[in-house]
Amino acid sequence: MRYEFRIAGTVSDVVLDEGFPEFESAVLAGQTVLVGRIVDEAHLYGLLARFQALGLRVVELRQVLEPEVSPEVTE
Amino acid sequence: MSPDPSPRHDGGGPGPEPPAAGSVLGGRLRVPPVPATFVRRTRLSERLTLGLRERPLALVNGPAGAGKTLLVCDWARTAPLPGPAAWLTLEPGDNTPGALWACLTEALRRAGAVPPGRLPAAPGAAATGPELPGRLADALAERPEPLVLILDEAEHLTDPGLAADLHTLLRHAGDGLRLVLISRTEPPLPLHRYRAADEITEIRAADLAFTPDEAAVLLRRHGLALSAEGVRALTERTEGWAAGLRLSALAAEHAPDREGYLKEFEAGHSTIADFLLAEVLDAQPAATRDLLLRTSVLDRAHPALADALTGRPDGERILDELAHANAFVTPMDHSWYRLHPLFAEILRVHLRARHPGLQQELHGTAARWLHAADLPDEALRHAAAAGEWELAAGWLVRDLALGRFLTDPGLAAAPGPGECGPLFAELPPDTGGPATELVRAARSLAARDADAAVRHLDRAERRSTAGTAQAAGVGLDGDRPDGDDLRLGAALLRVAAARLTGAVADAERAAATAERLLPRAADRTRRDRPQFTALLAVGLGAVRLWDGRIDAARQALAGVLRPTEPAEPAEPAPTAGAPGVAAAALPGRYEALGLLALAELWDGAPGRAEAHARRAIAAYEQLGLPETADGAIARLVLAEVAAERDDPAAAQLELQRAESLADHPGDRPGDRLRRTVLALTRARLALHRGDPHGALALLGHTPPRPDPEDGHSPEPDEQPWTGSPRAESRVAALVAAALLATGDASAALLAAARGGSDGALVAARAHLRLGDPAAAVAALPPEVGRTPGAAVRALLVRAEASAATGHDAAAQRPFARALAVAQPDRLRRAFVEAGPWPAAYLRSRPGLGGPYGWLPAEFRPPQGPAGGAEPLPVEPLSEREQEVLRRVAELMSTVEVAADLHLSVNTVKTHLKSINRKLCTTRRADAVRRARRLRLL
Repeated sequence: MRYEFRIAGTVSDVVLDEGFPEFESAVLAGQTVLVGRIVDEAHLYGLLARFQALGLRVVELRQVLEPEVSPEVTE
Repeated sequence: MSPDPSPRHDGGGPGPEPPAAGSVLGGRLRVPPVPATFVRRTRLSERLTLGLRERPLALVNGPAGAGKTLLVCDWARTAPLPGPAAWLTLEPGDNTPGALWACLTEALRRAGAVPPGRLPAAPGAAATGPELPGRLADALAERPEPLVLILDEAEHLTDPGLAADLHTLLRHAGDGLRLVLISRTEPPLPLHRYRAADEITEIRAADLAFTPDEAAVLLRRHGLALSAEGVRALTERTEGWAAGLRLSALAAEHAPDREGYLKEFEAGHSTIADFLLAEVLDAQPAATRDLLLRTSVLDRAHPALADALTGRPDGERILDELAHANAFVTPMDHSWYRLHPLFAEILRVHLRARHPGLQQELHGTAARWLHAADLPDEALRHAAAAGEWELAAGWLVRDLALGRFLTDPGLAAAPGPGECGPLFAELPPDTGGPATELVRAARSLAARDADAAVRHLDRAERRSTAGTAQAAGVGLDGDRPDGDDLRLGAALLRVAAARLTGAVADAERAAATAERLLPRAADRTRRDRPQFTALLAVGLGAVRLWDGRIDAARQALAGVLRPTEPAEPAEPAPTAGAPGVAAAALPGRYEALGLLALAELWDGAPGRAEAHARRAIAAYEQLGLPETADGAIARLVLAEVAAERDDPAAAQLELQRAESLADHPGDRPGDRLRRTVLALTRARLALHRGDPHGALALLGHTPPRPDPEDGHSPEPDEQPWTGSPRAESRVAALVAAALLATGDASAALLAAARGGSDGALVAARAHLRLGDPAAAVAALPPEVGRTPGAAVRALLVRAEASAATGHDAAAQRPFARALAVAQPDRLRRAFVEAGPWPAAYLRSRPGLGGPYGWLPAEFRPPQGPAGGAEPLPVEPLSEREQEVLRRVAELMSTVEVAADLHLSVNTVKTHLKSINRKLCTTRRADAVRRARRLRLL
């Protein structure tokens, strides 16, 4: 599962690199966009708690299509 | 960096005082101080005051740094509360019943909220049970005014079971309790129900946000006077977020043009916390910055520990300055400081960015300091975070603490402070020395994988012999366990493994080793020593019982039951979630009593067996501790004793309790002795219910039936009693009894041959059935005098044999003796299972032995015209009493009845007392039986 998170404001590089090394990030229209793979629900909730612990406000969260469909995930 | 941060060495010199034992939990139980810069907002505090007058629950919800804690701190210190307040700051490790209820009990104790007698006596992580919330609620419900219980950082409570417990507590405590939850997230309580019933006061993020007017006051308190326009813009930019406003003030403090600096910040888009924190951090002097970054790995900082992490002696000064400036840290009890959780999280990120790899080293340093400061649980956590497995394992071995893995089988699943299972969950395979191997063995045993445990034990012993020469070259290292420590740890685990495998010789050898080494280890401080000796003795006792050496088992167990040594403190100081010494040693005592009860039962003394079993259970009830799987044996003994008295309802009740405590389906097979006794009791009760085939199946006895395919029967599965002669003979005797009950006396005779003296009694009965009284008398075991159960059965066989051969008068003497021997323990079963003859014999001779009212009704001559109908109770049962009795008849416990009827436990007990009075009974099982006979149920 790939997810995209939008965080209000520009997150500093220190926090992005050390706090969320597994995510690609970009700044769009005053928001920080993080995109990456989420292993399972536990990962997702852990991540939300982590945003909260670092004082980051999640304004949007959605599942996005995998960039390429690997053979074992075809339904 | 100072390699030896032990506070014991610098106690006399200048510098911070070492931490006091127990200060850590103490700090969490005190209402934190309110800084001078705090802005009281009456719109919020009045809502709390008014809300809690009527409603039992208040929820303060908001993101980190919203000012939740300070709001409630100030409210609790200054507002007119409906009653006294108890505070508890929760930690991630509190998300288990043991830890939470231990902390809550301690909080209630300190608040003096309930009479001391109503609280569990032992503070410790194990001090909980399903009854505890109900008991505390009962105690609270009697208060004249409510207690205000405040739980800060309730976001750590994610376990739905704990939320349900809190819900129960709140509902049953009635007007005796008000609960205030401070949390980042909604707690998993059924909040919708509270909302629907208007029983909740909520203060949420939007309420907590500062208005521009409030923000102006806050900024002025921080020495920042801004124009009204500046305040409005900053409030808008920070969305009224308290931490954002405070950080803005701190960041602007050092800027030459404050208003201009803030304008720039307002115009930017950076996220508030990490941007501002970086700014504030960079504005600090280098030493302060360094200390903040390094102490961010700690949950709480002590000045001396901070010095150990920075390698400079300025921790006390800097922490004190920071606390006064209200920048990052809050002082707790006894000179501990707590970093604001939001800042600590961001600081850790900065630490990783600025000093890659330093975090691990800091954890290692902190671990050593904490261990030297006698805070071993926190030390273990940091050692694990540092990946210093051999160090952590070495401490456990040196402190004789490996037994902790065995005392709580849930350990491996539940994370938390002082709980070693999850700490070692990330232990990489195939690394480390002998101590690490011992930890692996202990974890395997906790998971009941005896084969893996023995493999690790063998490897540990090989490595320790190989490593002894090496260690000698390294020199004296206080943290490292020596060869004796390793051998002691291995001995404990060998005994524990033998309980699973039945390797009796291994256990005896290991116990002898431990006995030899323990006196030598006596000179050192060992927190877990009482637990170690208790576990060793109980393990040895269990193995010896399984092996059938009852006197040897008694001898091993006796040591555990001797009164505890006076050296132990009367009330151990509570540390962060760690079980106190007394509480830790208790399970050993509890299990020892259960095993002694079993020894007496197997010796044929049901009265003494029952007394020991009841003492075991009472020991736990008094302390409010839950019964564990170790207590299953005591319950099984009670079931067997009830069965001997022909009280199937009580026997079934105890069996069910034992089953709920003992091994669950899907578990790996556990303790062999427990499994053996469980199978025996299940089978015996099935036989008593009139289901001999069921009993045979439970004992794995299948009639020999050649397989039609290849002509030989499949190998029987290994049973828990395989290898134990004593247990095997008990099983054989029971199989014989079941076969006799199916009517197959010849098969019974065959099986009884392997059943020892119990089997001989069954054989005698079988001969009677086959019409051979002489053979019956000849088959009786020669020596039964000491054991009432066997003696009664033998005497009844003699009596019946005499009667069958026409010597009616000669039958009288043994029959009267049988009645006399059976009377003290009310051993009805021996009479019932002997078939119709004893009842017929006694009915025809009413004058034989006097008033044997304890025998079943069919043994008594018919009385009066009513034909034995029982008189109705003088006073009818009330409706409530009938409701209670119906539930008791469904085998519900007192607490369950109380919860079901929304009554307090004490009320249910009162009802039970009056039920017993009205029915002229003394126990609930008797009351149920009598009520059934009277058709009241």
